[in-house]
Amino acid sequence: MRLKLLAALATATLLAGCATPPPPAPGSAASKVVVMGKLSNIDIGPMRVARENGFMTVKVSLTNTSRSNKTMFYRFAWLGNDGFPVASEESWKTLSLYGSQSTVLPAIAPVPQATDFRIEVQAQ
Amino acid sequence: MMFARFSLLAVVVALASGCANNSPVLGGKNIGYGDSKAVELVTNEFGSTDLQMIAESMTRSLAQSGILQGRPVVQVYDVKNKTSEYIDTREITTSIKTQLMKTGTARFASDNNQMQSQVDQLKLQNQSGLYKKNTVAKTGNMIAAKYRLEGSISSIVKRSSDYKDVFYKFSLQLIDVESGLAEWMDEKEIRKTTER
Repeated sequence: MRLKLLAALATATLLAGCATPPPPAPGSAASKVVVMGKLSNIDIGPMRVARENGFMTVKVSLTNTSRSNKTMFYRFAWLGNDGFPVASEESWKTLSLYGSQSTVLPAIAPVPQATDFRIEVQAQ
Repeated sequence: MMFARFSLLAVVVALASGCANNSPVLGGKNIGYGDSKAVELVTNEFGSTDLQMIAESMTRSLAQSGILQGRPVVQVYDVKNKTSEYIDTREITTSIKTQLMKTGTARFASDNNQMQSQVDQLKLQNQSGLYKKNTVAKTGNMIAAKYRLEGSISSIVKRSSDYKDVFYKFSLQLIDVESGLAEWMDEKEIRKTTER
């Protein structure tokens, strides 16, 4: 009886653990990415964030994990200390990735007040 | 009978007012407002996305380059259109100027196409005798530009039976007026291909 209860408890914990993936840790690269819809076969890897001449600069590495060419849409949102945007919305841009290609996407903040960012991505 | 009629009327009124259209839209079944920042792929001529991308990348590259120390005064010249199509290059200039202004890294002297209005206003204030002396803007105090910003856009268009390929190249340079040296330069390339 005790064993059964334990097993049930373990199953419940496992299920609860699998039900929702844990949210990305604050400040991690994953927490900066907002995927609109589904982004299949494109991996968003490490990001490099720096401040050069007073402006925040970001480099985001991307990899096309499929063997066919992919097109994706992206734009950056620049946030201030309060977590709200400091500039008007950017225009959407397209990026073409050849099969299995890895690339780095550079970006510069539009105003010196930007201290954080989000990258919005959408697959075609 | 009277009561029934009255209640029927009340029900109809209640229904009608409940269903009243309270949307703030007048007309327009096939018309809608779209996203002004969307990627525009209607034709492969120069479009809104190209204008936005050029202005964005040029402004940020210049603002972040560190050349504009101490908010220097810049005079913006019209972008030369060397492409085969009609492009309102004044809009590229205006976008670049607006975005640079927002970064707070530069100040702007009167553009060459605004100069006439500026001179006219100064003349009017100083020569017409219409204005109160202490409110008149004095002549000889306009700030001269340290740098001038000049750009050009050119295109290469190729057509075959299957493809139309357009390649745009936009280049912008910042020139020190006194020395004539180009202090900063950048370019943006855009390729657009239509498969027929």
